Amino acid sequence: MSYQTALAIFLPLGLAIAAMGSAFGLGRAVSAAMEAMGRQPEAAAKIQLGMIIGCALIEALTIYALVTVFVLQGKIS
Amino acid sequence: MLFSFMLTEELAKHAAEKVQEGAPELPNFITFLYHKFGKVALVGFLHHWENVIFSWMVVIILCFVAYLAYRKRSIMPGRLQNLVEMVVEGLDNFICGILGPPGRKYTPFLGTLFVYILCMNLFGLIPGMKSPTSNLNTTLSLAICVFFYVQYTGIRNLGLVGYLKHMAGDPQDVVTWILVPINIPIHIIEELAKPMSLSLRLFGNITGEDVLITVFVGLGVSALSFLHLPVGIPFQLPFLFLALLTGTIQALVFTLLSTIYFSLMLPHEEH
Repeated sequence: MSYQTALAIFLPLGLAIAAMGSAFGLGRAVSAAMEAMGRQPEAAAKIQLGMIIGCALIEALTIYALVTVFVLQGKIS
Repeated sequence: MLFSFMLTEELAKHAAEKVQEGAPELPNFITFLYHKFGKVALVGFLHHWENVIFSWMVVIILCFVAYLAYRKRSIMPGRLQNLVEMVVEGLDNFICGILGPPGRKYTPFLGTLFVYILCMNLFGLIPGMKSPTSNLNTTLSLAICVFFYVQYTGIRNLGLVGYLKHMAGDPQDVVTWILVPINIPIHIIEELAKPMSLSLRLFGNITGEDVLITVFVGLGVSALSFLHLPVGIPFQLPFLFLALLTGTIQALVFTLLSTIYFSLMLPHEEH
């Protein structure tokens, strides 16, 4: 297997695995935040702020995988 | 109108050849000029520095809007002044809500960051323009500005000793003093990771969204390529709205995280 083939197979695969991980994380975070907001609607603004920070930090992990794809994209072909 | 037609034709060619190359990117008016008058020195210069040119265009537009709003200010604000005041007040409330009343000092810096990044993110949605934030250099320079300002704030507010103590993890008793040699490298890596994650997050999101739009534009153009007309099916339309959303959220996230980094360096009373 040439390294181009390996990259073409495993770059999307790696991105998919990273996205799956952060999807689970985001699902947990958002569901907990929604539950908390439903329980205490008056604290919704604060909970939302914390949720957005957490979501950004979780999402960043997928973005690192995406950046790797961008960096190595030129090597395929 | 003519320009947009020529642009569409150019776009079809450009998108097709860019998709094969690897990193696809929608053509902007500078690439258009470069394809037509590639030998002119000025155009070559523009092409080489296109991200800087586009960010300066954003800067000039923002300065112009600020000047217009500032020039005819009155107690009974007009439409533009009302809008600008609303934005400034909203940002001030947002930042003071996190940093507390003394955080007002940092509103100019952080608010400017938000408005600037938001305009840069949305600039790529204008036909013929490009988001300067889809280049790592732009986002990294913004993140480095935040990094140095945060460190300066830390030394200024905590004092040099307090800053070093903060980096050592606020040692109080024997156990924490023993942990100091572990804490210092961890804190240094943490501080250095902040600008990296800030810049990579913004760059990755905006580039990903631009690549998505470009791929769908290429798809729409190639779907009608048998007509030999400069038209395509606008497959990218839903993703433009998605881009509006992500552009706004990423600008907000960048500002929010910078604000949090500032709040970590300010002396905190409650513990």
